[in-house]
Amino acid sequence: MTFLMITGRTVNQGVTVENKTSAEYAAETSTCFMHEFDMLELGLADGDSVRVTGACGEVVMRASASVEVEAGTVFVPYGPYANHIVAAGTHSTGMPDFKSHEVEIEPTDEEPKTVHELMEDLGGLAYDR
Amino acid sequence: MIVKDAVCPFCGCLCDDIEVEVEDDRVVAVTNACELGTTKFMGEKRLKNPILRYGDEWKDITYDTAIRYAADMLLSAERPLLYGWSGTHGEAQCVGVHMAELVRGVIDNTSSVCHGPSILAIQEVGHPGCTLGVVKNRADLVIYWGSNPIDAHPRHLSRYTRYAEGFFLENAFRDRKVIVVDVRKTETANIADEFVRIKPGGDYAVLSALRAIVQGKTDTIPRTVAGVTREQLVRVANLCKSAKFGAVYFGLGLTMTPGKYKNIRNAIELVSELSRHTKFTISAMRGHYNVYGSNEVNTWMTGYPFGIDFSRGIAFYNPGETTAVDILARKECDAALIVGSDPAAHFPRKCLEHLADIPVVQLDPYPNATTAFCNVQIPVAVTGIDAEGTAYRMDGVPIRTRRVLSTDYLSDREVLSRMYALMQEAQER
Amino acid sequence: MTELLVKNACVIDPLRGINAETMDIAILDGKIVEEVSDAAEVIDARGMLTLPGGVDSHTHICGTKVNFGRYMSPEDMRAGRTPRRGPLHATSGYSVPTTYGNSYRYSVMGYTTLLEGAMAPLEARHTHEEFIYTPLQDTMANVLFDGNWGIMEAIRDGDTKRVAAIIAWTLRAVKGFAIKLTNPGGTEAWQWGKNVSCIRDPVPYFEVTPAEIIRSIVEANELLGLPHSVHLHCNNLGTPGNYSCTLGSLGLIPDLNEKRQTLYAAHVQFHAYGGSDWKDFCSKSEPIARFVDMRPQIVMDMGQVMFGRTTTMTADGPMEFNLYRLHHEKWSNHDVELETGSGIIPVIYRRKNLVNSIMWAIGLELALLTKSPWQCLLTTDNPNGAPFVKYPEIIGLLMSKKYRDAEFATIHPDTEARVPLPAIERELDWYEIAVMTRAGQAKALGIQDLGKGHLGPDADADVAIYPLRMDEVDPSVDYQKVIDAFSRTEYTIKRGRVVARRGECLVDGSNATFWVRPKVSENYDMGKDPDFIEKFDRYYTVRMRNYPVQEEYLNRNRCIETEARI
Repeated sequence: MTFLMITGRTVNQGVTVENKTSAEYAAETSTCFMHEFDMLELGLADGDSVRVTGACGEVVMRASASVEVEAGTVFVPYGPYANHIVAAGTHSTGMPDFKSHEVEIEPTDEEPKTVHELMEDLGGLAYDR
Repeated sequence: MIVKDAVCPFCGCLCDDIEVEVEDDRVVAVTNACELGTTKFMGEKRLKNPILRYGDEWKDITYDTAIRYAADMLLSAERPLLYGWSGTHGEAQCVGVHMAELVRGVIDNTSSVCHGPSILAIQEVGHPGCTLGVVKNRADLVIYWGSNPIDAHPRHLSRYTRYAEGFFLENAFRDRKVIVVDVRKTETANIADEFVRIKPGGDYAVLSALRAIVQGKTDTIPRTVAGVTREQLVRVANLCKSAKFGAVYFGLGLTMTPGKYKNIRNAIELVSELSRHTKFTISAMRGHYNVYGSNEVNTWMTGYPFGIDFSRGIAFYNPGETTAVDILARKECDAALIVGSDPAAHFPRKCLEHLADIPVVQLDPYPNATTAFCNVQIPVAVTGIDAEGTAYRMDGVPIRTRRVLSTDYLSDREVLSRMYALMQEAQER
Repeated sequence: MTELLVKNACVIDPLRGINAETMDIAILDGKIVEEVSDAAEVIDARGMLTLPGGVDSHTHICGTKVNFGRYMSPEDMRAGRTPRRGPLHATSGYSVPTTYGNSYRYSVMGYTTLLEGAMAPLEARHTHEEFIYTPLQDTMANVLFDGNWGIMEAIRDGDTKRVAAIIAWTLRAVKGFAIKLTNPGGTEAWQWGKNVSCIRDPVPYFEVTPAEIIRSIVEANELLGLPHSVHLHCNNLGTPGNYSCTLGSLGLIPDLNEKRQTLYAAHVQFHAYGGSDWKDFCSKSEPIARFVDMRPQIVMDMGQVMFGRTTTMTADGPMEFNLYRLHHEKWSNHDVELETGSGIIPVIYRRKNLVNSIMWAIGLELALLTKSPWQCLLTTDNPNGAPFVKYPEIIGLLMSKKYRDAEFATIHPDTEARVPLPAIERELDWYEIAVMTRAGQAKALGIQDLGKGHLGPDADADVAIYPLRMDEVDPSVDYQKVIDAFSRTEYTIKRGRVVARRGECLVDGSNATFWVRPKVSENYDMGKDPDFIEKFDRYYTVRMRNYPVQEEYLNRNRCIETEARI
């Protein structure tokens, strides 16, 4: 199914932001908040894995029902998971489209990667694993 | 020991009424701060010493070696990028500008991915604003537009708006109306007197509709605009016009959505229009505690708030070209110095792929996502905890952060000054 | 020990009554001395015009609103760029240059001391941060008290001593130099979107009038024994017919001080307008100049307008909003809690515009009609009337009737019927220019005893040597030579060191910040006053302990202690 992905700050993201290699930060920023009807349609329960595919890649997150988001949109706390699939174009403003990305979402059996794994996939080397 | 009136180095509210209890050089309790601030004050897990990536290993190195490495890296680069700066004090930012000038690099701060578009709008139409205390003491109407203070600036509501006492308001909670405009029904929307839910991407249209109504052209408005009914738009416009003092606080919900700076421009022009009827102001909800300071420092030293390219010797500014995301995505820079931010967590993947290909030095107290892309990371004291320095609140009020702990860590200013001294020496030779 | 000897200088030093005498100037460790040893470095001035370093007693160069002028104007930043070179940093900007831009360009013109005209106390730290990056001039700042709640309450209660006490506490806290009133009462009214029209309008809620604010603060200024007088930007700036409001304001001022004026009226050009609307707008420079001639207690500055693009910026928020409604350019406003406000808009002053042409004439008329140059100082209210780099042209205009006539021929043809300028024959001489650009400014600021504005023994060794010999140039004819000379010193010496030579700055510097600490009795220490503390805690959003500017922000700390009579 196609969704509009919006990213933004949350308290939990903020609380863990100075400790980005923690499991809590990974859990918060890999959460894909969805409308419960959309989850029903995809046959998802809270905490199930979803594959989120954007214009420049895919990433696995966990679905979570939220009353805050409208059907057809998903909300992902600002962080490395969402940015794994956000395109770098800025339309000459310096600012990528962090709040208006079209994505495909489907259920998957894969687990979300850790932040370390995401960074190493792109050529980094984790420090404090 | 209890340190009073400490300054919280988390968000742009820059709360300066924090009480921090310290025992044996550790923070053991924090009073008055929100959850975000408390966690930062209590933060542990700092990097103990500078580290160097050596193949697939990390090695501990000395400060001297690390600083020398960074200076050499910048001196030998053809197009270095110096990025971040929002998470450090102004005195360090000043050294950063001098360094960028010396090596003819590009210096950019995190506003290019938060309120950079707001700055572009201000450069088109200006900015009618005020300090937070003016709103606290006078505003009988507050509008949060595309901003969610409960999550991102938790004490904004209690210190300055919804729950704040105000000199000219008899019963501030009752007499002050709060409107929230958002695409999501956020926690903040739940405490609003009026929630305006917009379809994603519809902010520009809604702002235009409100401007038309304020100008008396209600009959041109269709039945709904981006999901908002005409009745609600008229109600909101009337609330604005009948307010004695209205204040708009907007967030990334306007800067990151389609239209970007044009959204902000429209919002500012709505406020300028309302200023012909009553008192109205508008301000950005700045994120990092000192992102605004970074804009201020860059401006008095180079003329521009962010995205400054010294490759021609003069300061050159062209956001979209001289901003960090663009420079990384175009694979243009050949070295990066990162200070007080974590681009690996916040930039699109294409930028990270280039960071992996070039030498990177980072100044940061903690291991973070960017650590993985570093050749060298240098731990520093945390401004507001074990370093002092100037920070600018989201409304431009400068406050000197206090030191609540003493540690052996060098401050950003000290590390950068040593780096700059080495670079000056090398250039004179 | 560093010694410098400037030989064969043709000196004008009005504070010592020296007019075009050829002499040597001896300098030891940054101070003027009677003589130096043979080991001193020697500069041969070859009879060139030599003056004390320039003093600008009213300019906007550092702080919140100035920086916002830069921030919102990349087009202005692009209009003046220089690269990093030697010890010099890159600069940007034309009408609102970066701090280095201001400092280098002022230095090349021979200026060594600058007064920032308006600093909001709450944001003082910002001004001081920028001072640090203005390396080649000593600096000081006027502190805004026009809409201060505590002061207005004390005035309502008729308690002038409390007014003085609040000012004393604030000056000390924010490391300020003098009192500035910008549209007194109007900046508070503007926080409700309103204004006061002149000195008899009450301020909403506080129920005091601008006249009461001005009178009471003028008295408080003398109670505190401050070096400078109150520095006033009158109500009703920039509107047709405002000269009567200006005369009313100046008429409030008694003569309270033997050493200097009792009131400094800023940028009076903007306050000397006749007519009832823009259609019959005209000059009222004559009644203003006549009024000031009869009152030694008043000193004013010109606030000269020069044609071209600039940026207007002032604490007078409502005035800027009115200007925005006329120009429809971009508009910024910044109100400051419990204190004051500010506004900024870019403007272009055009020769083809009648109002702008009249404004240009009025500034010159004020300088030419006021008998004593000590009472009308040369400024543009930088950058409001024009960027300070226009000062040499203004000097040229004041010294040459021929130049004025040539310029007059290019402006709006209807100007002649609205202004007295074409009939004024006076041409100012070198001595008068020296008064208007340094000696008079230093005296008005009350800093001559601190070694500013003259070249007497023990003065700061701030010297400007201009590439011009007075016996070879007739300024009424060779005005271009005058302009060229004042645009570019042969040498600018700051604290005994050559900092600029023939248009090039040579070194990085380190300025001194002057500020005032009035000593008041225990009873008038607001830091211990329960009512003051309680209101501070309740209504400011910054804690009282975090408000004062720490000494870390002062490069070379020049604290002036005064004995207050409270």
